[in-house]
Amino acid sequence: MIWLTWRQFRAQAITAAAALAAFAIVLAAAEPSLSGVYHSSGFASCHGAACTGLASTFINDLSSGGGIAGVPETPYMILYFLSVVVILIAPAIIGIFWGAPLIARELEAGTFRLTWNQSITRTRWLAVKLALIGVAAMAVTESFSLIQAWWAAPIGKAVGLGGGASIFSETRFGVFVFPTHGITPLGYAVCGFALGVTAGLLVRRAVPAMAITLAIFAAAQFITPLVRPNLFPTSQTVTTIAAAGANVSLNANPRLAFTATTVPGHPGAWIISSEGVNATGQPVSSVPAACEPLVPQTNVTHIGRGPTTSAPGPNALNNCVASHGIRVAESYQPASHYWPLQLSETGMYLALALALAGFCFWRLNRRRS
Amino acid sequence: MTAVIETEGLGKRYRKLWALAGCTLSIPAGHVVGLVGPNGAGKSTLLNLATGMLAPTTGTIEVLGNRPAAGPAQLARVGYLAQDAPLYAGLSVADHLRLGAHLNPGWDAELARRRIERLGLDPKQKAGTLSGGQRAQLALTLAVAKRPELLILDEPVASLDPLARREFLQDLMEAVAEQEVSVVLSSHLISDLERACDYVIVLVDSRVRVAGPVDELLATHHLLSGPRRDPGSLPGGLQVISASHTDVQTTLLVRTSGPVFDPAWAVSEVGLEDLVLAYMKQAARPVPGNNHRRLEVQK
Amino acid sequence: MIEFHLDSRSGVAPYRQLIHQVRHALRLGLLHEGDQLPKVKDVAAGLAINPNTVLKAYRELEYEGLAAARPGIGTFVTGTLDGGSLAAHGPLRRELQRWLVKARRAGLDDESIEALFASTFRSASEEDIA
Repeated sequence: MIWLTWRQFRAQAITAAAALAAFAIVLAAAEPSLSGVYHSSGFASCHGAACTGLASTFINDLSSGGGIAGVPETPYMILYFLSVVVILIAPAIIGIFWGAPLIARELEAGTFRLTWNQSITRTRWLAVKLALIGVAAMAVTESFSLIQAWWAAPIGKAVGLGGGASIFSETRFGVFVFPTHGITPLGYAVCGFALGVTAGLLVRRAVPAMAITLAIFAAAQFITPLVRPNLFPTSQTVTTIAAAGANVSLNANPRLAFTATTVPGHPGAWIISSEGVNATGQPVSSVPAACEPLVPQTNVTHIGRGPTTSAPGPNALNNCVASHGIRVAESYQPASHYWPLQLSETGMYLALALALAGFCFWRLNRRRS
Repeated sequence: MTAVIETEGLGKRYRKLWALAGCTLSIPAGHVVGLVGPNGAGKSTLLNLATGMLAPTTGTIEVLGNRPAAGPAQLARVGYLAQDAPLYAGLSVADHLRLGAHLNPGWDAELARRRIERLGLDPKQKAGTLSGGQRAQLALTLAVAKRPELLILDEPVASLDPLARREFLQDLMEAVAEQEVSVVLSSHLISDLERACDYVIVLVDSRVRVAGPVDELLATHHLLSGPRRDPGSLPGGLQVISASHTDVQTTLLVRTSGPVFDPAWAVSEVGLEDLVLAYMKQAARPVPGNNHRRLEVQK
Repeated sequence: MIEFHLDSRSGVAPYRQLIHQVRHALRLGLLHEGDQLPKVKDVAAGLAINPNTVLKAYRELEYEGLAAARPGIGTFVTGTLDGGSLAAHGPLRRELQRWLVKARRAGLDDESIEALFASTFRSASEEDIA
């Protein structure tokens, strides 16, 4: 059965190996020049926590100048973006091309009548296939992730110190970075695979199963970031607007909102939400009357490091609001929760994959046709 | 002699329609059994139940004394060739033999190799490029080389040209002569089965109409022709399978265990094809109270 | 070694046809005592017929004393068919020719002669068995 699994999987394995090799070669070829910028910016030789300035310099060097004809983004930005995308969609590709056809093709072509009548039970047939290809899925996806992490290590270091900007602005908790680094790729890979197999078994035809797998995978990409903050207990703190590095931002009706950027005493924390509270800790939902005149005429939310409009800027607004005793309540995950969150999310997807696999075993042995 | 397939009141229903109903058979070992009937009669359903691809709705079925597909040991004792000989188009002939070797502990590699050589198949050729006859032969090799006690073939020659058909049956008979294996093969044409089968089951409209060794069936069925008789005044003690009347003559196909003594009848033998056709006609006549409709097996 | 063939339209059971062909070969001198009959497997494969059919034919030949099975080796011819001495053929032929002349004079056509001969032959054979 191991031989048969390999023989039927051979083409896909070779494709994956080739893709992995190409990925590695491209990034390895780009590594010396990234390293060059890393050193020339002076960031490489800076150690400790006070290197934020040099980190910004490094990121700026990566993001500016020397773009390809007419394209504003530098090769580093493009490469970074594409490499993250590859890791992100690898589980979907695996689900679609490895998972969906696994059972569906056998049912469509009628070859199940050949294979399931050899001296091997359906359970054993599926178990060997799921185990071997599942492990391959995890290995391939995690390899992509590790190779990318090796290449982008300086960037990750810079962003971690607060020097991130534009395309390099996501910390390791970011929506695109968290599922593509650490161990989460393992969970996504095996769950994407299991999802494809299940879809193929239920729909009994490969192409519709591929479409369904893609649709569910895309939906999961939207749902998971909403669930993620709660995979491990969050922490709360209340602090001043200034200490939170917060700026007032305004929504449709001048509701009071804050975009906090730091948690005092917890560098590298992941801020999940921040809202205004008054002196007694009650949520404050609107700008104090006295500060109304400072609100810019057009409702603009300022995200980032400073005012970009003329007229009464956020700093004046911030000070006015702060002077009314309004502070920022932050809900966050400290940096130390990174690995627990990684384990929780990976565990969640592994459990889901196992549940899907169990369903497949049950369903496969129902002798309807 | 032990039975290779034993069924008791076996039935299979899809939603509202019965594909097979009230099937009670005891097929003895050591025979080549022909399962014949029109399309949609339930032949594939019966064979799928025997291989364990389907589970019964009512009744029981035992194959070689066990529940079908009960485990690897049971699967090893039954060889199966599905309709249209499904094979992996992208795998070569040699790959298919390797498949057989890896998935069957009882695999006889020497037998498989000899057969492929004799058939003139190129081991490196992909199965998708083989002709219909070659595919059937390769699939038969896979079924035979695992040395089963029972071979089940679902319409193995239905889509083959006459030469491929003959070659396949020749090959099958040689395998039967070489190994001690019982065979059950289905067809909707009796001519496919006449030479090869020594046991026949006629399945029409999801029910078994007649079953037994060919010699016995031919010995107990006779064609009687004589002067025109009233349908009501036909001789007793004879089971009339089919009757046709002209204004002067009556012809009956009867089943009886003893000789026919009435001198008014001219008695002659019946060929297997005519016998099967008579039972098919008998089934087609609407019987009051029979609400079982035909079901085509969905492919 | 002789080769069998089968006429599926003759209405004669396959095993009977095999027996006839062996007897015919013996009469024609194609088979002699000690010759081996084709193997069951080869006959079954060659004609695409059930091996049991071949076995049945060979068993019948054994019963008639014309063949004997040697387990593991094959089936061999053990007897001969006495076609009667050729000397008897001459007078019988001349009697038959005289009878044919009489039948023609009585007005019988070819088919009537054949039918008369066939029915008489059949009833005579049945009398032999009874």
